[in-house]
Amino acid sequence: MITINVGHLYPNELNLYGENGNIKALKYALEKYSVQVNVTNINESDPIDFNQYDFLYIGSGRPIFLRKAKERLKIYKEEILNYLNQDKFFLITGNALSIFDFLGLYEVLIPDSRIVADIIGTSSLCNGMIRGFQNTEYLIKNLNNIIFNLDNPNGNDFSPFEGFKYHNLYVTSLIGPLLARNPNLTEYFAKKLREQKKTSNYLNY
Amino acid sequence: MKYIAILIGKIFILIGKIFKRGSSLPGKIALKLDHKLLYQLKYPSNKILITGSSGKGSTTKLIAKTLRKENYRVCHNASGSNLEWGIATSILAKTNLCGKVNADYLVLECDERYVKKISTAICPTHLVVTNLTKDQPPRQHDIDEIYTAITKRLLSYTTIITNIDEPYLRKFELEFKNKIVYYSLAKNKYSYEKQIFENLNTYYCPNCFTRLEYDYYNFETLGKYSCPNCDFKYYKPNIIGTNLDLEKGTMKINYEEVLIGGYLLYHAYNTLCAYATLRSLNISHKHIINAFNEINKIHNTSFVSHDKTFYPLSCKAENATTYNQAIFRTIQDPSTKSIVLGWQEISRRYKHYDVSWLYDIEFELLNKDNVFNFYCCGPDKDNLKKRLLLAGISEDKIITDNNPYVIKDLVMSDEASCIYGILNFDYVSIFKDAFKEEK
Repeated sequence: MITINVGHLYPNELNLYGENGNIKALKYALEKYSVQVNVTNINESDPIDFNQYDFLYIGSGRPIFLRKAKERLKIYKEEILNYLNQDKFFLITGNALSIFDFLGLYEVLIPDSRIVADIIGTSSLCNGMIRGFQNTEYLIKNLNNIIFNLDNPNGNDFSPFEGFKYHNLYVTSLIGPLLARNPNLTEYFAKKLREQKKTSNYLNY
Repeated sequence: MKYIAILIGKIFILIGKIFKRGSSLPGKIALKLDHKLLYQLKYPSNKILITGSSGKGSTTKLIAKTLRKENYRVCHNASGSNLEWGIATSILAKTNLCGKVNADYLVLECDERYVKKISTAICPTHLVVTNLTKDQPPRQHDIDEIYTAITKRLLSYTTIITNIDEPYLRKFELEFKNKIVYYSLAKNKYSYEKQIFENLNTYYCPNCFTRLEYDYYNFETLGKYSCPNCDFKYYKPNIIGTNLDLEKGTMKINYEEVLIGGYLLYHAYNTLCAYATLRSLNISHKHIINAFNEINKIHNTSFVSHDKTFYPLSCKAENATTYNQAIFRTIQDPSTKSIVLGWQEISRRYKHYDVSWLYDIEFELLNKDNVFNFYCCGPDKDNLKKRLLLAGISEDKIITDNNPYVIKDLVMSDEASCIYGILNFDYVSIFKDAFKEEK
């Protein structure tokens, strides 16, 4: 049986918009394939061992908690980059994207006013439409390595292109239960995670 | 221009009355004619502004009705129009052509985003904050924004009335020198020691942001808390509700039993909030209790049909806390039960389609053997079903249909002895119409 270890970063602090819907949706999708999913809530005082996880998630939060999370995570810069360079998964949604500019992979843009918008788009990651919602005071500035093509110009640097992908790091300004609303996207993650885990199990064997 | 604006506004109020159309149009027109109109009226000396994420309408009504029972003249936006135009309409209705508001008390329910504007105009003597929770995310964004919006024009002489059980609301005390009147609900038979709700983020010390420790929770982040890092902690205020009995719909204030007007915890908190406000206005304890017991007795909304008891529980879409209270109430009942869920529309204020708040509701708590079936109705039945599935509820327990009348036979033949309607307020009458036995 395949086991996938999911780490949810600071779920008590960063949970503005039904963020844990993403974890629930991923778990549900993986369990349909008889994958055992262990979800660990990584809380404020917990040290993080990135080797323990196959999938990390972090969602939107109040400004004070974004600042606190950034303070805590900055010291893990090398570990996070190492985790990503091993092709392990990290999903960042909503205003949590502002935390990780310290990785030096993408730049963060602060629009004059908050972006609140319904999103319909497509993605090369999966077939079908992507539906979501933006409620964010931050956008991504880069126009490379995008994830979504939107029907409005609320994407990176106010273009119709949204998100940022690096190896298996997925960063998007779309909020909350993005995976719960988009089973096609969830299926992409579930499939990739299973394949990766199978390969690593085989190599370890 | 002030006098013309008052006159035109009052003419439109009269036209509205003739055609039985209550609206915010008269206030809108009057403010178009004189946008500083609300600054120029002569108000009574007692001006109470009631705001919060939920419960402000019920609390305002309770305060206004009690004051009327005391034979005071009250200016109250009873229609629930709580934005600037609606408030202006209600004030104009009580204003004479010289600009004097003919009332002893101004009792206004006010949307959080409009507190700054209305406060600047009327200079409230009392600001009542029922609660601050996650609410209408596309509009309210986050709790800190709402707090800032409420406190932006806070006058130093305004008395704040709020709930000490919620640590976030202590920010008023930490950041302002205003007089604060607190109320609290004592530990009761529904209190619990281990947190059962996820997706909360106000159980942090507003002083040093350390996670608070709780002796007990009354609900979500409400309870007896203390900070392990600094001296911030709950203390017992003068006004305290005890002996809460949600089955009976009662609690005690100063050893006297009072009806709370429903079966949910927020009914108790709204009642306490109204009580604290009225006591601040020097209305006697005895008179308040008598008035509450009379006003609240009409709120028994449960009914029996086909040998089942139906409990319509009114919630507010986009406000997970109100749904969590309904779920919390439902799981207190050991009877076998099935659940009807639904709403007509998520918001009347905007066209955004955001269902993130559904994932802030703890549907997982309903995944119990004594909860037999879930009937998901209305336009978002499929989103509800998806949410229930992700809460671990078995697919064969979930029935969906756009129309509750279509599933009436299924509900009536359900093996459960109780049917709980966990409903947006726009679905409560639909629920009653669909399932009440015709006489």
